[in-house]
Amino acid sequence: MNSCTDCLSRNTCQSADKPMENYIRQLPRETAHHRVAGQSTKCGFGLQGVCCRLCANGPCRVTPDAPRGICGASADTIVARNFLRAVAAGSGCYIHIVENTARQLKNTGLHKDKIRSEQALNRLAGIFGVTGSDKYDLCVKVADTVLSDLYRPEYEPMELVEKLAYAPRVKRWKELGILPGGAKGEVFNNIVKTSTNLSSDPVEMMVSCLRLGISTGLYGLQLTNLLNDVVLGDPVIRSAPVGMNVIDPDYINILITGHQHSLFTYIQDRLLDEDVVAKAQAAGAKGFKLVGCTCVGQDLQLRGEHYTEIFDGHAGNNYISEAVLSCGAIDAVLSEFNCTLPGIEPICDELKIKQICLDVVAKKANAEYIPFNYETRQADGDRIIDEIIAAYKERRGNVPMNLFTDHGNKNTLTGVSEGSLKSFLGGSWKPLIDLIAAGKIKGLAGVVGCSSVAYGHDTLTAALTKELIAKDILVLTAGCSSGGLENIGLMTPEAAELAGPNLKAVCKELGIPPVLNFGPCLAIGRLEIVATEIAEAMGVDLPQLPLVLSAAQWLEEQALADGAFALALGLPLHLGVPPFITGSKLVTKILTEDMVELTGGRVIIDPDGASAANTLEAIIEEKRKALNI
Amino acid sequence: MERFVIIGAGAAGISAARVLRDFRPNDVITVISTDETVHSRCMLHKFLGHERDAQGINFAGVKFFEKNDIIHIACQTVHKIDTAEKKVLFGEGYSAPYDKLLIATGAGFFIPPIPHFREAPNVFGFRDLSDALKIDEAFAKGKRVFIVGSGLVGLDAASALCQRGAEVTIAEMAPRVMPLQTDDYAAGVYQRAFEDHGCKFLLGIGASDAVVDGEGNITEVILSTGEHVPCDFIIMAAGVRPRIQLALDSGIAAERAITVDDHLRTSAPDVYAAGDCTGLSGVWPDAMDQGKAAARNMAGVDEVYPKPYPFKNTSNFFGVTMLSVGRLDLTEGADILVHKTPTEYKKAIVKDGKLTGYLSLGDISNLGLYLHLIRDSIDVSGKLDKIFRLTFADFYGINERNGEFAYRAK
Amino acid sequence: MKRIFIDPAKCDGCKSCTLACMESHRQDGGHGLYTLDLTDPANQSRNRILSDGQGGYSPIFCRHCDDPDCVRTCMSGALVKNEATGLVDYDAEKCAACFMCVMACRYGVPAVSPDRKRMVKCDFCQHLEEGPACVRACPKKAIEVREV
Repeated sequence: MNSCTDCLSRNTCQSADKPMENYIRQLPRETAHHRVAGQSTKCGFGLQGVCCRLCANGPCRVTPDAPRGICGASADTIVARNFLRAVAAGSGCYIHIVENTARQLKNTGLHKDKIRSEQALNRLAGIFGVTGSDKYDLCVKVADTVLSDLYRPEYEPMELVEKLAYAPRVKRWKELGILPGGAKGEVFNNIVKTSTNLSSDPVEMMVSCLRLGISTGLYGLQLTNLLNDVVLGDPVIRSAPVGMNVIDPDYINILITGHQHSLFTYIQDRLLDEDVVAKAQAAGAKGFKLVGCTCVGQDLQLRGEHYTEIFDGHAGNNYISEAVLSCGAIDAVLSEFNCTLPGIEPICDELKIKQICLDVVAKKANAEYIPFNYETRQADGDRIIDEIIAAYKERRGNVPMNLFTDHGNKNTLTGVSEGSLKSFLGGSWKPLIDLIAAGKIKGLAGVVGCSSVAYGHDTLTAALTKELIAKDILVLTAGCSSGGLENIGLMTPEAAELAGPNLKAVCKELGIPPVLNFGPCLAIGRLEIVATEIAEAMGVDLPQLPLVLSAAQWLEEQALADGAFALALGLPLHLGVPPFITGSKLVTKILTEDMVELTGGRVIIDPDGASAANTLEAIIEEKRKALNI
Repeated sequence: MERFVIIGAGAAGISAARVLRDFRPNDVITVISTDETVHSRCMLHKFLGHERDAQGINFAGVKFFEKNDIIHIACQTVHKIDTAEKKVLFGEGYSAPYDKLLIATGAGFFIPPIPHFREAPNVFGFRDLSDALKIDEAFAKGKRVFIVGSGLVGLDAASALCQRGAEVTIAEMAPRVMPLQTDDYAAGVYQRAFEDHGCKFLLGIGASDAVVDGEGNITEVILSTGEHVPCDFIIMAAGVRPRIQLALDSGIAAERAITVDDHLRTSAPDVYAAGDCTGLSGVWPDAMDQGKAAARNMAGVDEVYPKPYPFKNTSNFFGVTMLSVGRLDLTEGADILVHKTPTEYKKAIVKDGKLTGYLSLGDISNLGLYLHLIRDSIDVSGKLDKIFRLTFADFYGINERNGEFAYRAK
Repeated sequence: MKRIFIDPAKCDGCKSCTLACMESHRQDGGHGLYTLDLTDPANQSRNRILSDGQGGYSPIFCRHCDDPDCVRTCMSGALVKNEATGLVDYDAEKCAACFMCVMACRYGVPAVSPDRKRMVKCDFCQHLEEGPACVRACPKKAIEVREV
């Protein structure tokens, strides 16, 4: 059924974005939204995390007749093993990203390339305690400091942890013995640990998840943003168009997917050079534009102030990438990480969209692989440009156009970061803290992470967000959840109408929406910097803040690694569906109950937006009470 | 409109009544029984053990006769069948005319000719509800019970009574308990289970005489060894005999049992017989089958009664379950395969590639399979290495037409 | 009567039917596969997927036979062939836990309950309006309800 396009099931999944839902339903081709129905029978063993496929004796499943795998592994071991493996893989993804980002910063220094924010560079140098002979040397030193930590063996603790993280948290982590060793070594070690007949200690494995979380959060999340700021420019708050309306068919449009904005540093500037624009015009277009999708699009949007010419805007999140490509006006896809859905392959074939892959980890079967290499970036860049022009010429006029020009909106607030938000508030967090203390803002909720479709595209994310703002809780978002929420208008100033009375008043006074867009999922790290700075200002530890997190529609392993960081920070973390753990009473209890004693955080699982919002509100109120506000 | 009369309300009688009502919604059906209520013989031990009351062992359902519009004449013994006038005579001059008659009188317990045993008022069988009631009464007066025979009936009675605190002694002629259903090992397992619950076994020993009191009650059993065993009452569990007296008195052919043809017809026209009284088998499911087959024939369907199940017994005492089916004793020219673990004991007798006998102690899963393999002589020669772990997957087949399973050669 | 027809060639041994059966009969008041206790013997399934020894599977489902071995052998009246539905119904209250039915079914379908007080067998999910949960759960459509 999945491969049959003649008799496509018109039964596409629901979306919080109703116009998009209709658009997808009318498409003459299959997308992820179409495939949800055919995959609706889920394997119960998989759902519970008690299917183990590690060895040739398997797959083993836990049942009353056979409660242990052939090797003797209990449900607790199988679940913990599967979970740790996922967190390790997710951590690996983020560490790959920060590694490449640091390498690009290093290249910038070595080759005296453009530095867009010296302020950002000095900030990092200050945190790290490094100096350099000049700004370029500093770039190299800063990058090397990061890389040397990443490459450390896992038995050597990483040095930047204590410099980056909030001191009370570091103290707790030391007590728990979860300071991470070299980030890549940690991933490696935990893959080894979770292999056949190795670790069968579920508690040790769950503690290892916390260690991986710290490494992921501080390096993969926080540092990636700060490193990117140097080369790509600081975020600036601005109003921007979002949704498929941003796509202008008069240009040669390139869709970007991935998380590694630094790999586009060269090409995003090159595309504006006179000779390149001339080539585009010779082919019949006005020039080139980059269209955003997934987190790299969010990152470009975050820094959009510096890219107004080349960047049209962010079209949407990962699960509408197939719809975006279907509009006919996208001529090429440049991918370097996830989410680059395999589902785009037949669409690109059919619509003659040129696929070029810049990092082998995101290779599409029918994509041309032109790996990003700093040394050869100019020749590679020109080659990429020429191929895309060729694709443009071949496809325009020969493939159907299906533009969706009234999708999205024109005035979404973007560019929010810990720096830009603090500046907006006058240079300190006091105004925000005062609003919270006075009850004008009840608390903060980070609704972050991915978009998923199996239980509705962004449906839980949107429902939860609406409930939270109605309760006067200010929502901060980052990740594909942002991409979904902005397309349904929750980040426009008009969205203040949906907020509770107190929050509405605050938003109207400040001219902000009740949902603030921090950009890519990497920016969850920025959110956590905000939390740290506020906690510091209030003289409390993170678990005491009236702050909750929700990765309501968490999708993949990276989300789980992020989640592990949230738990290490001591924050309550809501998930819409369990992360394949319920088959183990022990693992479930550790995450949902015992974690409070370990780190102060815990997991709350609730597939319903209203009920989850109630739980989160109750937690915020409890924290407020303890703070006497 | 025909008149159907059934003598006996056991497995055969009741299943026949049910089937007759299915076929003939409006005809008159009458069941005459000596007992007051319908009861399951196989659950008598639950009654005796005071786990269930009389209603609780009524396998037909309490309102069976009412719901099916069947006339039930209870507590009456039929003493003659007038095959010429086609009526049955019972009680003090009552009669019931019939167009078709079914004799389902079952079997009665047998008392061997040991001195005093046939006359003593405190010697009971364990066959009918009335037996159980008498035993209950006797138990109220004395707790020392002597059971003759360690077959299923004897052990049934023993397990019920020792759970109520009786002092049980069991005498068995053969050198092991349940001699027909077990081998030495399996018998030993059961013997130990019963001994752990306070029963005493006298194996390879019979009762040969008795001491009686003034009213003729046996107060001591004298064993074949000469030993005296004091007792308050005795339960005879030394076998049953088909109840053929009625047939004999009515001129219907019977030798050891009532003679029937392959349509379950007796020598008298329009008179059928089914159940233990035919001697074809002594097993509950067979009685049910015979009752149904006879009923269908009585209703006008020409149906041959298929061969009965091979000798099969199941027992479940003190948590020890066992099934034995087929002929465990016929081992000449056959392979004897044994599987033994601390919790299971299994034995298979295989002759010419066919399973002829099977015993399983402890594990009762898939035993119906083995029963079927023996009964239908299905070839198992390619499966001897897993003979103790067979499942239907080894013979899996489906009847395309109606979706039922079918045994297929593999 | 209705019967669950089986096409063993389509069976992949995924055991979604087994899980659906467990879920349909769970007694803890919970709902959803996430919380179904997979290690509790009280949650045993009424169907069984056995290996056929050749890389395929032999799904064992109660046939609610036209001439059931279990009903024939039941001496307590707990197992009856329901006139109206054609299904073999089981009344646990009447059951004497003799397990003759377990030992009689030629396909080995009935099982002994963990507390050894009753027998466990398919009840065709008569408590569910939508009918047998196993049929709805099979992703290969290897089982379906048909009228016979």
